[in-house]
This record gives sequence, structure tokens and C-alpha cells, in this order.
Amino acid sequence: MNTDDDVRVEGPGIRQSMSSLHTWAGLLLGWVLYAMFLTGTVSYFKDELSQWMRPELARLSQVPDRAVVAQRIADELGNIAPGTSQWSIRLPDERNNSANVFWRTAPRNPGQRGFGEASFDPVTGQRVTSRGTLGGEFFYRFHFQFHYMPVVWGRWLAGIAAMFMLVAIVSGVITHKKIFVDFFTFRSGKGQRSWLDAHNALSVFGLPFHFMITYTGLVTLMAMYMPWGEMAAFKSPAERQQLNAELTAFIQPGKPTGQKAPLASVEDMVRQAQERWGRDNVGRITAVHPGDAAARVSVARAESGRVSMSPQYMEFEGATGKLLTVREAVGAAAETRGVLYALHLGRFSDTETRWLYFLVSFMGTAMVGTGLVMWTVKRRQKLPDPDRPYFGFRLVERLNIASIAGLSIAMTSFLWANRLLPHPMEGRADWEINAFFIVWGLALLHALMRPVKAAWVEQLWTASALLLLLPILNALTTQRPLWRSLAEGDWVFAGMDIMCWALALLHAVLAMRTARQAANAPSRRRANRPTPMTVASSEGAR
Amino acid sequence: MTHLAAFVLCLAGFAALAFATRRQQRDILGGSLRSAATYGLRVAGVCALLSALGILVAKYGWSLGLVMLSGHTSLAAGFVYCVLIGLVRTHGPPAAHAN
Repeated sequence: MNTDDDVRVEGPGIRQSMSSLHTWAGLLLGWVLYAMFLTGTVSYFKDELSQWMRPELARLSQVPDRAVVAQRIADELGNIAPGTSQWSIRLPDERNNSANVFWRTAPRNPGQRGFGEASFDPVTGQRVTSRGTLGGEFFYRFHFQFHYMPVVWGRWLAGIAAMFMLVAIVSGVITHKKIFVDFFTFRSGKGQRSWLDAHNALSVFGLPFHFMITYTGLVTLMAMYMPWGEMAAFKSPAERQQLNAELTAFIQPGKPTGQKAPLASVEDMVRQAQERWGRDNVGRITAVHPGDAAARVSVARAESGRVSMSPQYMEFEGATGKLLTVREAVGAAAETRGVLYALHLGRFSDTETRWLYFLVSFMGTAMVGTGLVMWTVKRRQKLPDPDRPYFGFRLVERLNIASIAGLSIAMTSFLWANRLLPHPMEGRADWEINAFFIVWGLALLHALMRPVKAAWVEQLWTASALLLLLPILNALTTQRPLWRSLAEGDWVFAGMDIMCWALALLHAVLAMRTARQAANAPSRRRANRPTPMTVASSEGAR
Repeated sequence: MTHLAAFVLCLAGFAALAFATRRQQRDILGGSLRSAATYGLRVAGVCALLSALGILVAKYGWSLGLVMLSGHTSLAAGFVYCVLIGLVRTHGPPAAHAN
């Protein structure tokens, strides 16, 4: 909400100071924030994206009874991972067509922990193989820990960027003195003012969301950013274990007795949980020391329908199936954290609310994007020679192109790589990600080498073309083209194809408007008339 | 259905609030409304938004209802904003463009 132009005070008043703070807090990590916002936005559909990226896995027209599925997979795990010290099953649901299973294995090297992970068909209970891909999980992880760097560094960078965002939001609100009077204001065809109005609208309409998502983003990693309170309060292992119990449904594994005892009916355990929370409201089952007399099983409640990530679970004695404890509440502090965490992830959402999350988050992405472009729009007018701007200006201009239009190309290329890379292929999942970064790097190179306006137009057209052709590529490389998805009511695949075309249209409109702006620029200069808003409006018709 | 009703109410609420502002009255209607009409639009707008909150909370409870209302209001405000831009361009007086 940069309103430098609105602020006309003598001397550096509070609004002027906040305006400068807003400008620089928004710019310095703006490109990182834009990438975090956009990849975070698509992560609201990460499960659907993962389904699309594993087309070999059949669609679940109806989710089978989770109690039966749990028993099937537990039986199969007895065959493929006998003697494991722990396994955990994330049961299928309306958004996940397979069960995701994790189990511990004997470590390959001393001091390391070994584990196995696989998808299981809920209908047959058998392990299924699909192409190597991280699916939507890549965008989700990228938005808070990036890639090609240690996870801790990435999370610190994300935290610093989020803090800058929070500063930008608060300073923007203080700067925007006519927040209610100008609520619906859009001054069309006025260059910088139009950009300012669009930026203000995108900021103010989604303000509660933007503030919430930034603040709760910091809360999700608060224990890493500010560990000192926790370190001072919880010193002994028992205290730390108690803290963990407030935050996760993880059962502390005791020592195995060495006495063999088969697991009691997992189906019955899940049935008890279903009676308590509802038939479709069981999320994960974890067993420690299955097959041992000391085995314990936890059945955790799903996340849908409750605005809290605080763990709720039932714990059973593995050998007998006897219910030991039911945990449905945590302390006030843990619950506060659980609610804020849930607000960020939005996993409680029904389909409509998930779309609301997606669309308002998309507005947030556009808010960051318009802010970045506006920095150059505003300064270009003050350049002594607009044809020869100073280095910092050129840098911002080029980074804007690569981080906004270039990111669209890179993200779509990631999906293209998913369809084009051969499978099986060694390190396939990694190569999908490499493709994303190679293309993004090429976009930056292109932005550095081409004239600004041409770079914007070309990259926007490229993104549009890639998005437009993706459903066709999908039809050619899988058995699930749009017409079949529509006929079968497969809304994950159909929705993905339609969404690609909607986004292709958006990029095409932006490209056309930007190109038109470039064509009109010389006559506009002569006539000194106001201009329509485009993505690169006033960024120089060079 | 609840979502649709809430969204329509939010749309109506923001439309009323938009027409309660002098700038929109001038740009789209070509002049200011009487104070009583403006006041009435404000009250109607707020009532529509509160009604949307009411039906969401009645159906989903306070926690989910408030989250949903936040999403509906953001989206509805954006929708009304886009419609107003279109109205100004198609029906607004020429002066609106040079404002």
C-alpha cells in the first residue's frame, strides 16, 4: 500500500517515514516474497496437484471405508516391513487417492536412521508405483524453505522475508490515510496513480488474510526462530516429551519387550475413532513396535472441519486393542499455536473455502507483484534520462521480469517436465525440480539480455503458451485427457486443465496490454495523455 | 448453498457501501445522492455483511464462519471493485476518466 503520492506533509512526518519503510521493506525481499506467495498459493491445492502429477494412480470415485483400508495396509506392512520399529499410514480421503505410508528400517550406516516410504492402493492394499515426483509437495516446501540450500537456511530466509512483509503490511496501513474513503477508488488511465490504486485495492480487500498469513507463517516456525523461551522452560527430557505431546500425535516409543505378539485388529481401533469423530474424520494411524507385546497404536483425528492443528488422537495397546487414552485437548498456549498454524495451512477447509484461500492468496501475490512494478513505475518518471537509467533501477526492472513472468514460466515448466521426463528414471523427482530452476535461470538471462518491454511481452506470451498447451500435452501423454475427465467427473484432472487455460488467458491479456502499451508509447509521449494500466506500464517503451 | 448465499450478501453489502461513497456516486450516477440515501446505503451494506456472517456462523460455527466470511468479503469486494471499473468505463461521465 504505497501511497507516497498521497502523502503531502512538510518534513518527514509519521506517514512519510512509514511510506519509506513500506517501500524499502517491500522491495528488498520483494522477489523472494513474490515467489513465496505464488508457490504458497498453489499449495492450497497441493494434494490435487500431486494427484495430477501421478496420473498412473487411479481416481478414487468413492473413498473406501478407512477402517478396512487401515487393516489392509497394516497386514501388507507385516509382509513388506516385518520387524519395523514404527510405521505410520496417512489414510486416503477426498483429496488423496492413495494411502501414504512411512516405516522405519534398519539404518544403513551407524548413527543414521533408515526409513521406507511408499504409496498404497486403498482398494487392494498393495504398494503402487508411479513416476518419481515430489508433486505439489515441491511448491509447498519451496514456499518456506526454498531449495539447493540447507533447510535451516531456507527457513531463516523465509522467516526474514515474512518479517519484512509484516513490516510492509503495518507500515502500509499507517501510510494509507484514506483507507475507507478510497476503498473502491480506481483512477483509470493515470499511470502511477492507477498502479497505486490497484495495489491498494489488492492490499486492502485481502488485508485480514495478508496479515494473518504472514503472522501465522512466522508462528509455524517460531520454535526455530525464537527457541530461548522453550529452552528455558523445558529442560529435562521428560519436560520436552510433555511439550511434544502437546504439539504432535507422536507416541514416544518405549522399549520393546522382545516378546512377540501380533497386532490386534487395526480395523476395530479405527472403528472406535470413527464412532467418536465421524466416519470420514480419521487421518493417520501410527504404530510403534508392531508385533511386540509393548506395541502401541495411535489413531489421529483428521484435520477437516476444525480450525486447529493441535493433536487429537486415541491411543491403543497394540497387542490387545485396549483403549488406553483419548487426547482431545491441549493447554491454552499449545491451542493458540494450533489455531494459528491451522489458519495458515487451511486444511480444515471445504472445497469452497479452499478456493477462497486460493483466490485471496492470489490477490496477495498480485499485491506483491504490483508493489514491485510500482517501484520502477514511480522512479522512471524521475529519471534524468529514462533511456539510460542507473544500475539499481535496471537491476530491479530485470529482476521484476524474471521473478514475476519468469516464475510463471518456471512453474509451468515443472509441470511439463512431469509429463515429458521418461519414467522410470534415476533421480526423476530431482530432475523435475532441476528443470524448474534451469528454466527460471534462463528467464533471468532472457530478462537481462532483452529490452525491458520486449522481455515482459515475450515472457508473458511464453507463460501463456506453455499454460495453453499443457492440457494438450496431458492428453497426449496420459490416459486422462480433458474430455474423459469431464465424462467421468474427474474434477482434479478437469479442473487442472481448465485452470491452466484460465491462467493462460490471464497471461495473454497481460502480454497484449503490455505490447499495446509499447506500441502506443511514442504517440502517447507526444500527446502527453494518460495511459491504460499494463504490467509494464511506464516501465519505458524501449 | 450457504456459501453462495453468503457471497451474494457480501456482494450486495459492498455494492451498497460503494454507492454510499461520493466518488462512486459522482463517477457512475453523475452526481451526489441525498445524505439520507447515502446513510441508508451504508446501513444496508453493513446489515448485508452482518447477515452473511450470521448465516455462516449459524451453519459452521464461529471459528469456521469467521474464516469463511473473511474470504467471502475479500472476494466480493474485489468483484464489486472490478464491476465498478467497468461501470465507470461504460456508463460513467467523461469527467470520471480525468479525475
